[in-house]
Amino acid sequence: MNSEKMDARNQSFLYKLHLDGPLLLGLLTLMIVGLFTIYSAGGQDWDLVQRQIIRLGLATTVMFLLAQVSPTVFRRLSVYVYIVGVLLLVAVLVIGVTGKGAQRWLDLGFFRFQPSELLKLAVPMMVAWYIGRKDLPPRTLNVLAALVLVVTPTLLIAKQPDLGTSLLIASSGIFAIFLAGIRWKLLSFFAVAVSAFTPILWFFLMKDYQKQRVLTFLNPESDPLGSGYHIIQSKIAIGSGGMEGKGWLQGTQSQLEFLPERHTDFIFSVFSEEFGFLGVILLICLYLFIVSRGMYIAMRAQEAYSKLLAGSITLTFFVYVFVNMGMVSGILPVVGVPLPLVSYGGTSMVTLMAGFGILMSVATRRKLLSRE
Amino acid sequence: MAAAIKNKKIPKPTTVQWRFITVLSLICLVFVGLAVRAAYIQVIDPDMLVKKGDSRTERVRKTRVHRGLILDRNGEELAVSVPVRAIWADPKTIHENNALQSKRRWQALADVIGQDVERILRRVKNPEKRFVYIQRQVSPAMADYVGKLNIPGVYLREESRRYYPAGEVSAHLIGFTDVDDKGLEGIERIYNEILSGTPDRREVSIDAKGRQVELHSEESGKKPQNIQLTIDQRIQALAYKEVKRAVSLLQATSGSAVVADVHTGEILALVNSPSFNPNNRQGVPAHRIRNRAVTDTFEPGSSVKPLAVVSALEFGSVELDTQIDTSPGWMRVGGAYVRDPRNYGVLDLTEIVKKSSNMGASKLAFSIPRRQFLDTYYDVGLIGDTGSNLIGESGGIFHERSRWSDHEVASLSFGYGIAVTTLQLARMYSTLANGGVRRPLSIIKAEQLAQGERALSAQTAGAVIEMMEQVVSDSGTGKKAQVPGYRVAGKTGTSRKAVPGGYGEEYVNIFAGLAPVSDPQVAVVVLINEPGGDLYHSGDTAAPVFSRVMSGTLQMLNVPPDDKSVSSLAALRSKNNDS
Repeated sequence: MNSEKMDARNQSFLYKLHLDGPLLLGLLTLMIVGLFTIYSAGGQDWDLVQRQIIRLGLATTVMFLLAQVSPTVFRRLSVYVYIVGVLLLVAVLVIGVTGKGAQRWLDLGFFRFQPSELLKLAVPMMVAWYIGRKDLPPRTLNVLAALVLVVTPTLLIAKQPDLGTSLLIASSGIFAIFLAGIRWKLLSFFAVAVSAFTPILWFFLMKDYQKQRVLTFLNPESDPLGSGYHIIQSKIAIGSGGMEGKGWLQGTQSQLEFLPERHTDFIFSVFSEEFGFLGVILLICLYLFIVSRGMYIAMRAQEAYSKLLAGSITLTFFVYVFVNMGMVSGILPVVGVPLPLVSYGGTSMVTLMAGFGILMSVATRRKLLSRE
Repeated sequence: MAAAIKNKKIPKPTTVQWRFITVLSLICLVFVGLAVRAAYIQVIDPDMLVKKGDSRTERVRKTRVHRGLILDRNGEELAVSVPVRAIWADPKTIHENNALQSKRRWQALADVIGQDVERILRRVKNPEKRFVYIQRQVSPAMADYVGKLNIPGVYLREESRRYYPAGEVSAHLIGFTDVDDKGLEGIERIYNEILSGTPDRREVSIDAKGRQVELHSEESGKKPQNIQLTIDQRIQALAYKEVKRAVSLLQATSGSAVVADVHTGEILALVNSPSFNPNNRQGVPAHRIRNRAVTDTFEPGSSVKPLAVVSALEFGSVELDTQIDTSPGWMRVGGAYVRDPRNYGVLDLTEIVKKSSNMGASKLAFSIPRRQFLDTYYDVGLIGDTGSNLIGESGGIFHERSRWSDHEVASLSFGYGIAVTTLQLARMYSTLANGGVRRPLSIIKAEQLAQGERALSAQTAGAVIEMMEQVVSDSGTGKKAQVPGYRVAGKTGTSRKAVPGGYGEEYVNIFAGLAPVSDPQVAVVVLINEPGGDLYHSGDTAAPVFSRVMSGTLQMLNVPPDDKSVSSLAALRSKNNDS
């Protein structure tokens, strides 16, 4: 208990603000790395960086505000948030706005809203709430019910179609179930079930362009000028970075517009080319630090709901990183997942930071909860 | 501490706790996996990717240059570059602009360049392609017309075309270039790099839109240079005209002539017939393109007989007034015979040369050690590299033996058992004419002369020249080689051509000589290969050609006449007789 008190004393200021020091430090470092990389990838466009700064500020504010909210409140709101989210998804399918070939947005008049982002938080909240009510580990029937809670929004989003987001949402829910302590027998059963589901996914649910992406991933050289272009260019950019990289603003592949989507989804290629393998290692360490801190917070949470929610949010963040880096370096197919907090872009960043807000809320309320 | 919390608050927390640890370990593993992947791409196997990256951005830009001129010794242009245009097409642009619709323009294009319109359309059919030539080396007028047709995707490009004002006269020597201005034959090929220079080279990075964004290195190339030959185009033209006429009159297979400045070793003319038109090489058979004067070897026959005299005099086995008995006009050497046409009896050295006695030459060769005799062939430059550096030049055929039979030595003394090029023979005569100092023959005009080497004494050279002057006397075999007004020395060589198993019925006629005897300036060698008519003696075939080439050369070089016995009137008269 002594170390606990010292901890509290050292971080008393941040603690009172309901902020977790190490996590905040990691996030801010990541944002700064992102800003530098965006400046380089965007052709040294200062406007681009400014817009990103505004977004980061907004997202950080959201994080700060959510950190002030007690986990108890989140727990009570879980069901409503989830229901509203699913209804919005249905609304998107019915009256949504189409953009880039997918129906993902709701036009609210003054801005476009992407309900699937809400689900990224709503699903783990719902699952954590549902499973957290009972003793852990959950019983088989409860697990199945939780799975339905996960699959429903996943399918709705996959229908938009938005493979990347549905993947993230499915994994966030499944993580919550997994962390709750699902039995290994059941786990293997689901593993089999998922493999059996894959052909169905391939033949009935995936759109042609999605299939194309997977095929291209398996053999990018088959269509070097078409769908394989992204992956090939990206690998070339990463590879040409070498051990120490070409230096900031010196990457030829990215600077010279050979690389598509270089300040959004493929920003990792730009980073790799300019900062080399050493930079990549440092970036991975930074992500690992944030994920570890998140898991640490989850582990130390005193209540099942907070524990599952924090763990699930952290793992979702990790999936972001893994899918993006894997896609850019050619070990996963191209799905539109940004590199969290580094890629240029809005909505998903706000969601991510909201998630970290919840994490911080959990991290800084262990005593409050314990006094309940 | 953790235990305390556990006990107090969380029901059965252990079930989830270890899962978090497991998950965190898995996450670490995944990150390690990503790092390994990055290491593989960036550190272990980056070369291929780095190269691919570079290949997308690195470009070498070169400036276009105009090929240098080839000039004769007086600055006369022998090869020039004329600016022309190439018509090329970008089928992608053509298709994007639907340019194929305007059939009339394509027809007009086809008409002006003289191609079938269907053929052109076939070439631009594939919209994937970005570059095809439609017609190269188009004259500026035609190119302007094509430009006015204004077909989207059809463009003009500057290029240059080689033109040879001297035509077939110097074709073998100058050679020619291909359509990309690269030398393929002759001087054009040997000195291709000097003539074409190296273009300014700039290594740049470009972006995906082809804009230059970075300059890595700039290397200013070498400017193309003109090349000045030692050739005198006037002499060249004369020699070619004479050789061509002789080849045609004598129904010979081919003919060659070489004119050399004996003091400098500079080649003033080097011609062959048959020749070809370098400006239009379509359908020219390969044998016409061969520069026979340097590529083809012949047994020189009697034309090398003076060397037997030279080596004997140099060694000292004979004096200038030594008499040699050649009777009975034949002798048995080894298993074969050496014969003269008839029994000449006792001859002095001059008469041996003048009558071209095989017996005399053989006996002279026998009078000195073998090595000494053979060395003379090397010393005068008959064997080995002439120094002209021309493409495809043959070094001649001369088999060094460890033991030479008497018959082989005898054969060598009258020019059999050795094969040389016309140019090598010209070098031997240049050495004799240059007072015994051997120089490499040169084709490129140089500021500085190569160092000469003394091959034989000036006295011996002078003596042999005077002996050879008798060959051209009224009673000699080379009478028709006389040049009015000048004292000329020379030697005929009529050799049978070797065929498998012996010597055949075809002849090689050579006349090699120099003038003026009092102060030799020019050496000329004329070779007529396989004359098909009635005349097959060098005195009748090669000697007259020699006379006219030598005469013209001496006049063009303003060499003062040294034959005081001929009055200008007589010279005039003989000239009229000739023509």
